[in-house]
Amino acid sequence: MSESGSNGVKDRTTGQFRCLYCFTRVKPPRGAETFTCENCGYAWRIWWFSPTEPRIRGPVWDQHEKLSREKMKKQGD
Amino acid sequence: MALSRKIAYINLTTGEIRTETISKELRKQYIGGRGLDIYLLYRNTEKGVDPLGPGNAAIVSAGLLTGTLASASARTHVAAKSPLTGYVGSANIGGFFGPEMRLAGFDHLVITGKAEKPVYLYLTNDSIEIRPAEHLWGTDTRTVQQMIVDELGDDDVKTLCIGRAGENLVKYACIRTSIKNSAGRTGIGAVWGSKNLKAVAAKGTLDIKLHDPLMALEYNRKIIDQVTSAKVSKTMQKLGTPFIWGVTNSTGLVRTRNFQSNQLSDADDIEPESIEEDIVGTAGCFGCQVHCRGKYVIREGKYKGIYDEGPEYTSLGAFGAEVGCRSKTTVLTGNHLVNYYGLDNLETGSMMAWAMELFEKGILTREDTGGMDLTWGNDEAVIELIHKIANREGIGDILADAPLEAARRIGKDSLRYLVHVKGMSNLHSDERPTPALALNVAVSSRGSDHLRGRPAIDLYHLPEPFLRKVYSNPIPYDGPLTSDYRDYEGKPWQVLWQEHCYEAVDCLGICKYHTVFLGPNMPCFQEWPELIRVNTGLSFTPEEIWEVAERGYTLERLFNIREGLTRSEDTLSDRYFDEPVPEGLPVVRGRCIDREKFRLMLDEYYRLRGWDENGVPTPEKLKELGLDTI
Amino acid sequence: MEKVLVIDPEICTGCRICEQVCSVVNENVVNPYRARIKVMRWETQGVVVPMACQQCDTPMCREVCPVNALEKNPDTGVVTVNYDRCIGCRMCVAACPFGLMMYDFVDKKVIKCEQCQGDPQCVRFCDAGALRFEDKQKNGSAARKKQGKKLKAALSGRDQP
Repeated sequence: MSESGSNGVKDRTTGQFRCLYCFTRVKPPRGAETFTCENCGYAWRIWWFSPTEPRIRGPVWDQHEKLSREKMKKQGD
Repeated sequence: MALSRKIAYINLTTGEIRTETISKELRKQYIGGRGLDIYLLYRNTEKGVDPLGPGNAAIVSAGLLTGTLASASARTHVAAKSPLTGYVGSANIGGFFGPEMRLAGFDHLVITGKAEKPVYLYLTNDSIEIRPAEHLWGTDTRTVQQMIVDELGDDDVKTLCIGRAGENLVKYACIRTSIKNSAGRTGIGAVWGSKNLKAVAAKGTLDIKLHDPLMALEYNRKIIDQVTSAKVSKTMQKLGTPFIWGVTNSTGLVRTRNFQSNQLSDADDIEPESIEEDIVGTAGCFGCQVHCRGKYVIREGKYKGIYDEGPEYTSLGAFGAEVGCRSKTTVLTGNHLVNYYGLDNLETGSMMAWAMELFEKGILTREDTGGMDLTWGNDEAVIELIHKIANREGIGDILADAPLEAARRIGKDSLRYLVHVKGMSNLHSDERPTPALALNVAVSSRGSDHLRGRPAIDLYHLPEPFLRKVYSNPIPYDGPLTSDYRDYEGKPWQVLWQEHCYEAVDCLGICKYHTVFLGPNMPCFQEWPELIRVNTGLSFTPEEIWEVAERGYTLERLFNIREGLTRSEDTLSDRYFDEPVPEGLPVVRGRCIDREKFRLMLDEYYRLRGWDENGVPTPEKLKELGLDTI
Repeated sequence: MEKVLVIDPEICTGCRICEQVCSVVNENVVNPYRARIKVMRWETQGVVVPMACQQCDTPMCREVCPVNALEKNPDTGVVTVNYDRCIGCRMCVAACPFGLMMYDFVDKKVIKCEQCQGDPQCVRFCDAGALRFEDKQKNGSAARKKQGKKLKAALSGRDQP
């Protein structure tokens, strides 16, 4: 999560964002409006800061609620 | 030199004004800004002084580097005994006033007494004039600034002022400058109002001499590059502080409907990306290249066409999640109105949210509210309540009081629903799943607060070795540290470290977005000695700056203890311990603060600070800091 | 090659770092009132406009100077003050239609932007890009491009001929 760089953007992480649930770095297709994390299955609405820089705008609400309930149930078992 | 600026003591009862130079020794001990601020407050107020009486001191302070070639050296600190909490009242403000006050020859103003009629102060080139302000009384914070500019015939005059909220002694009225800059917390605006002090205007043309101008220029360029290369700064330049909303609300860390939930779902209209669509440009404070202030025009509703700036992250909570509203127009209008009246947006939102929960529970009825329907998400009621609070009308008169006073006036079970620490309402972030952030809120020296010690980077899931590097500078730390924001381990040190970091920038007069607040690689203790040297010629080691911060923070504690603070108030509302968060990602869902673990964190925090188990600094610690004779 | 200081008020954030840096470079102190560049502000409307000498082709300051203290460099186009000749009459201040020939009341001399010997420091510190130092020939190209893009977007919505 290091943010420094000589001229700003770090090439290593360009085009990626971290899933807020599992913290895995994921790379959505350019211009995608939503993206589902390959690792944990959470779906995010994406906002493009620039054509190459995606940012999580917010959850895809209905999918989140459903998945969270399932996961909580599993934890409870 | 920047060091030649003076302290001015202004007695509004007698009209007497005297000035004093600041010794080098005092600089070494307190640096300036918030450090000297608390020093002056402690020495110029009596124990038990009435916050709204003539004995309270309203202090205005420039930081050591304010107005120099230190990046974002725009900050001014204000203080008084708080009418909200009865403890340290203290707030920080950007804009252009601080540098102008220094150009006029002053670093600190200590304003005591009470003017017979409304007045304002005019500072210019080593002189201070007390001018009548009866014609300015009753004006909003924008109009009064323009009237003073017109009256003095000088466009370059910069003004700190209060609005109607301050005049009406709303206990959380703020000090304002420019369009939106506000020293929001702890109700200093009411203190000014109680003194009949409408404004302090400044215009100066005295050189701020630098120790090594060319080195200062180059070092400034280096610091700016360090700050602006951080991803968080680029985000701030575009979205401002609302960007924090994306992470926190998505996770489930946003206080919603007072304290009933931790996430406002389906609120796309108030997401920062939606607000950004209405932002026509960004504005910066003096010398700042992060320029996080969005400029907007309200697009809809009764206030359509009005220009304002912001909104900050706090406004998204105050006029969004906390009150259950999902309308951008409400957020932008609410933000405008608190600026207009000079109200702390955070406290305003929290008080309204509390009132709405009381309405839901039947503790407040339509009879109490004058027929207003305070149901969650009632946009019109939220806007109307702001007017009522600022003007102390109807239910607004009760809500304009300090939270604990208001709870006493309402009675019944109302206190149970109040989310506060030391009598100051909490920010709209929900700290139940994040013990580090919860501890910060509980121990903050000015009551519930995030800008005194929030380890915000704790939310970033940073690797432990990296965290250790950050938190071992300049004082080595070999205790526990973890990347998991839900842990209790090592968090007391993180809070303490951040408290010193923020205290230091407040002493220097630099913005917190230029240090380790939202970005872990920002300038900090290692960079500040050179920054101080090239600008002022004073020499400090990183360890010495740390010690200044510790001294300042400890003196704030001593002030609070003098005014009656005990360990029992370094805590959270019961709801933090008793009500698990119902929504959000599974990492946070169902979490709340564990009472026993919280107690251990607090013990550890006191131990690290050299305070005894009751939270009182030990005689050894006071001696070490030279505070034993204060 | 003549280069000019190009200002873009729409981008300017109003932070005044240009004034700050200008006074340090020219006078070794921070004092915006001794800077050669000024940010004009209409805060209540959110409007800010940075202004500095545009090195006129026919500089009125030079025209009015009774002792020929103002010179326009034929190569760079920069108008400079020769302080050995200047008598401090301030007629140049009166003549400048933009108010960008100014009087420094501390050192008692007229001051104007002389472009920091070809490397304007205000430009170097304006990260927002509201100040640029460009070839005179290119002047206006950025604005043309910006507005041209809008036209292009409007036209691209139409059917191809």
